[in-house]
Amino acid sequence: MSKTVISMRGIIKRYYIGKPNELQILNGIDLDVTEGEFLAIVGQSGSGKSTLMNMIGALDRPTEGTYYLNGVDISTLDDTELSRIRNKEIGFVFQTFNLISRTDALKNVEMPMMYAGIPRKERIKRAEELLKIVEMEDRADHQPNELSGGQKQRVAIARAMANKPSILLADEPTGALDSKTGRMIMDLFHKLHKEEGTTIVLITHSPELASECDRIVTISDGSIINDTGVRVNAVD
Amino acid sequence: MQLIENIRLAFTSLLANKMRALLTMLGIIIGISAVIMITTIGTSIQKTLSNTFNSIGSFNIFDVILDWEDTASEDDMISREMLDELITKYPEYFSIEMSTDCGQATVRTPKGETVTVAVSGALDIKPALDHLRGRTIQYKDNVNKKNAIYVSDLFISQYFEPGVDPIGQTVNLTFVDNGLSGDFVIVGYDKLPQIYEKQYPPGMKKMEKTSPVCIPCDTYNEMVHQEPEPTYYAQIRYNTDYDIDMQQKLLKEFFEDKYKEKPGFSFLIINEQQYLGMMDTIINVVTIAISVIAAISLIVGGVGVMNIMLVSITERTKEIGIRKALGAQNSAIRMQFVIEAIMICLIGGIIGILMGIVGGLAIGWLAKMLVTEFYSEYAELISITIQPSIPAILVSVFFSILTGVFFGYYPANKAAKMNPIDALRYD
Repeated sequence: MSKTVISMRGIIKRYYIGKPNELQILNGIDLDVTEGEFLAIVGQSGSGKSTLMNMIGALDRPTEGTYYLNGVDISTLDDTELSRIRNKEIGFVFQTFNLISRTDALKNVEMPMMYAGIPRKERIKRAEELLKIVEMEDRADHQPNELSGGQKQRVAIARAMANKPSILLADEPTGALDSKTGRMIMDLFHKLHKEEGTTIVLITHSPELASECDRIVTISDGSIINDTGVRVNAVD
Repeated sequence: MQLIENIRLAFTSLLANKMRALLTMLGIIIGISAVIMITTIGTSIQKTLSNTFNSIGSFNIFDVILDWEDTASEDDMISREMLDELITKYPEYFSIEMSTDCGQATVRTPKGETVTVAVSGALDIKPALDHLRGRTIQYKDNVNKKNAIYVSDLFISQYFEPGVDPIGQTVNLTFVDNGLSGDFVIVGYDKLPQIYEKQYPPGMKKMEKTSPVCIPCDTYNEMVHQEPEPTYYAQIRYNTDYDIDMQQKLLKEFFEDKYKEKPGFSFLIINEQQYLGMMDTIINVVTIAISVIAAISLIVGGVGVMNIMLVSITERTKEIGIRKALGAQNSAIRMQFVIEAIMICLIGGIIGILMGIVGGLAIGWLAKMLVTEFYSEYAELISITIQPSIPAILVSVFFSILTGVFFGYYPANKAAKMNPIDALRYD
């Protein structure tokens, strides 16, 4: 039996607590993700999927409920410990790439390793390997403004993989790309999933992209309304 | 851990906004350079004063001045016996700086030429600083009435062929005033002081120049059958290896004891170095006061740094969010921006130090030129020494860093405490 990476029980997130405009975004989410899954979370904008992503990515703590990430209860950690979790366990891929400007591709990929305290030489070696995996090794010394959208996203994926995270958390990774480049990025995710066995959580509003994944979780108004479970013969 | 990374990062960030960084540094540059310039001028004045005093040679000397109310006869003056007693009593502390005029004398050189020398009778000559060969006239030469003579390199070149060792050679002096003559053995010689060199008219032939020589004054007194003249003024050199105040007290007690039978007589004992010390203190106080005023501009500069850091952090909110998402801890973000502020201040401080040194040197050179131009007769006496103040430089570097930490901490902390979700969403 595979290891459980994410285990969420009764996750509730409220904003403006105690104020007249108190807002409940997540209404008790239960979610389990096992190692090696390629999971899609789909939902309309405003459904709470971004909030759920922040929760999974340890950027935020739930108001109620428990979230075990690799057996560690995230909901009780302080800022410093959350930083460490984000650094080691989570690899973020954003819709807008979020590379650091005026910093070349290699340095961008190095960055999570720098915060992990990995020595410089080792970092550079690993960053070069990662750029090779995403076929960006010849652009290592290019700054983000010298790269196309697809190239930026590939660097961002390499960066997300830097510390061998438990989860690759991708938030609309193809949203800012044309369909052809978007396809390449999706292919890259499939490659990482198959070849590296990476657990990927893809957040999207596109049913087409979701249908490529092993499992689709649909979220609406802060609740999971449909979970396909792991489908063996997902479209590739 | 990430210090080097942060320094590199700070450089990248500063280089990305060169003009802004430079303008931000301007306040720091002006503050530090003003402080350095003022302290450079201050220490240079001090150095110049002490070097000038040193070169004139009135150092480590007590001026003992006898003062009286009504009238005083020769018997009431400070006698040689008194001075002899003093240095016999305290040989480890005191020696007598005294010279009497013995008039001019002529010397016939081995080649048959005649040169004139100005003879002074000395009791004990302080060895000169660097060019001394042999020894000076000493107290024991007086006690033993030695026929010793101490000359200048000018005399050596007038009298001897080059390459001859003059020490131990005998020269014959004929005194112009009384026609007496005697043989004197050269015990040592020194470089002719600049002050004499200045007196010779330009183009004067070497053999025509009158150079100063010293013989023991008691030897001369014996030659002319004359007793040492009493004086109301004596210069007593003290020993710098011992406490000066203690020696001054001993001296005062000694002379007061000598005159305890003579009411109406009093002593003034002046240490010229004390004046210099006082002057030093005044210059120090003035330098520090002006420096403090100049340093106020550092605060203004620091506020500028803080302002720019706040702008920079707002601009880079997204970057901070990304870094946090990648696992940067609050402390890492805080460190990044504090170091950036320190770098601004430190680079500004270093530029300021360099500009201050250059400014101080320029003012020093200007002063030197003015002295040479308008007081050329004293120019050789005043040895202008331009020296930047090392402590001021070290303190400036330290304060630059401190300014960076102080004014960088608040913005850096603000960055560190940003909520990563909000920061990521920021556009």
